[in-house]
Amino acid sequence: MEHEKGDLVVEFTKIFSQTEVERVHEASLEILENVGMLVRNQKALEIFAQNGCIVDTETMMVKFPREVVEKARETFVPTYTFTAQDPKFDITMPGDRPVVVTGSSAPNIIDPKTGEERRATSDDIANIAYLINELPGFDVFSISTLADDAPEGQFSLSRFYPALKNCKKPVRSNTPNMEDLKAVLELGYLIAGGEEEYRRRPFINHHYCPVVSPLTFDVESTEAVIYLIEEGLPVYGTIVPNAGMTSPLSLMGTLTLGNAEFLGLATLTQMIRPGAPMIYAVLSTVADMRTGAYAPGAIETGMLQMAHTEMARFYNVPSGGYIGLTNAHTNDAQSGYETGMNTTGALLAGADLFNMGGLLGSLMAFDFGKAVIDNEIALMLKRIKKGYEYSEENLCLDLIAKVGPGGSYMDADHTMKNMRTIAVLPKVATREMRRRWEDQGKPDAHARAMKEADKILSKPNKSRFSEELDAKIREQFKGLVAGDAKWSL
Amino acid sequence: MVFQVIIKSITIGDAEQCLALTKRALQQGFSAESVLEKGLIAGMNRVAEKFRKQRVMVPEVLMASRAMHAGLSLIEPLLENTKKISSGKIVMGTVAGDLHDIGLSLVKMLVMATGIEVINLGVDVTPKKFAAVVRKEKPHILMMSALLTTTMTMMKEVIDELESSGIRKNLIIVVGGAPIDAGFAKRIGADYYFEDAFEVKAFLDENINKIISKKNRWT
Repeated sequence: MEHEKGDLVVEFTKIFSQTEVERVHEASLEILENVGMLVRNQKALEIFAQNGCIVDTETMMVKFPREVVEKARETFVPTYTFTAQDPKFDITMPGDRPVVVTGSSAPNIIDPKTGEERRATSDDIANIAYLINELPGFDVFSISTLADDAPEGQFSLSRFYPALKNCKKPVRSNTPNMEDLKAVLELGYLIAGGEEEYRRRPFINHHYCPVVSPLTFDVESTEAVIYLIEEGLPVYGTIVPNAGMTSPLSLMGTLTLGNAEFLGLATLTQMIRPGAPMIYAVLSTVADMRTGAYAPGAIETGMLQMAHTEMARFYNVPSGGYIGLTNAHTNDAQSGYETGMNTTGALLAGADLFNMGGLLGSLMAFDFGKAVIDNEIALMLKRIKKGYEYSEENLCLDLIAKVGPGGSYMDADHTMKNMRTIAVLPKVATREMRRRWEDQGKPDAHARAMKEADKILSKPNKSRFSEELDAKIREQFKGLVAGDAKWSL
Repeated sequence: MVFQVIIKSITIGDAEQCLALTKRALQQGFSAESVLEKGLIAGMNRVAEKFRKQRVMVPEVLMASRAMHAGLSLIEPLLENTKKISSGKIVMGTVAGDLHDIGLSLVKMLVMATGIEVINLGVDVTPKKFAAVVRKEKPHILMMSALLTTTMTMMKEVIDELESSGIRKNLIIVVGGAPIDAGFAKRIGADYYFEDAFEVKAFLDENINKIISKKNRWT
């Protein structure tokens, strides 16, 4: 186990015995071998055929003999690195776990001035990028929204340009087609100062959901995944079964189907480039069968993440996914407990990657206050991970003897030394007495979070592109959106 | 009363029983129209009402819909042509590049409960395919769905295709799916956006007869 001495999470929460884990793996192999997957992408069909799968080109059905999957497993690698424009933000799993990422690609934003939901724009992305750059809990910026103001033909550039311009942390997102993907890579080369330089440190991380449950590879995103793996660029996929709708309505059934789908994607990945880094990433959910509603904030999402993480540990690959999302439409108690409970469960089970930040309404809208609160939740998760720092010295026996019964620790050197590091010092959570809080106008968590966002975004962004680089980019891509962080409340 | 038991067979989702009872009602001399209205549609309306009050769940509505359609299979050939036309026709599908059809299935389930004929093209439907089916089937309404924010733009391409083929004019276009909203629908030139399957059903309950008579005037 890759924990440090004194980690609270010395022993990860286990749901299954070793025999049960192996049975889920076996069952997944049975699904891939007997049921197979529908592969709607031509290149993927060819790759599967060349590497020992049984492919019916007519029906696009692919069956995976178990030895083919087992062979792919031999080249799984245990780490995954997100590279950043600024190397100080590079981060590797599982060593640097938990890696906290924003939720991505919401069409809407809660307007910070009016509080009303509206379509998001490239200016919003610039503001969000700057905020995420400054909030210490976040490690990766997955581009939170779409840009409704994107000029014709610049759907993806209008997202990646403001993101990369204002955030030096690793940037992650998807593209709808190969043309957009290549334009985004061009942008990356320009920023890096050349294609070779970019490939040495690829700071755009690509993400797709190439598997549509149940057991289907789609066309466009599978194409993008294959291309990026071939090129040796960072990419991973998330598996998204929805129990009762696209997977069996039991946690075991959905875990097993999702696990089979992960193995299907992992097998494709390793066939293309053995040793290509992967993340066992999921957003496994249980649908609310009263209405068919999507429920990523439900506690079952956390339970499924915990079990998938246990399977990922069996395969020795980093794990995680969209965990900590909420169905709430405003920054209320529901949004807090859904994000808090699910991420805590996942962390204790050993998950590495948390796509959790900033979105409301099950991935529909970004909210600045939610992002600031999620930053604080991220800092709490990181505190849990840091754990107790077990040592003889930390037992404080000398100090306890020195102060003795009835004394005070308030003025001890030991206290002075630890007072800024031992506890999370929250900026959103209140610890005021009631009277003072009333005098301040009874601000709730959302109001306090918006104040933090305002404090950060009211200052100019020091991390943005140099004028010279920006001019070069705007010369190359004519008609590009402004992409500058502009904030006023 | 045979209508009462037909309604019951639908609310409990028993397709075999609904089929047998529909047959019996017809043998007893009830008209196809009355069995449809007072039995099958009444049964489905009751289920839809229970669903709205969260007294039944999605799979139960699905089973009820299947039961209703078992009965409908006997009724349909007997309906007069005028009645058939007046029941309306809808073509629906998820746009190209998108393989998600849960929302589409929920809409289909509730729309079918109104007795309107539904042609579901399924997922990953290209603009050309939509246009070809619209030309052939001449539906009253076209419904498009997209779940992915990256595929929702395909809806505009479908409408463009219909425009350039000259078959947009007499067609009502409805769009839906998680990332869609009314503003988007307006911008791409769609006629309606509905947030969920209930809104669709409520709209059809209210307006389908108007839509049909309007269209018949043109054709």
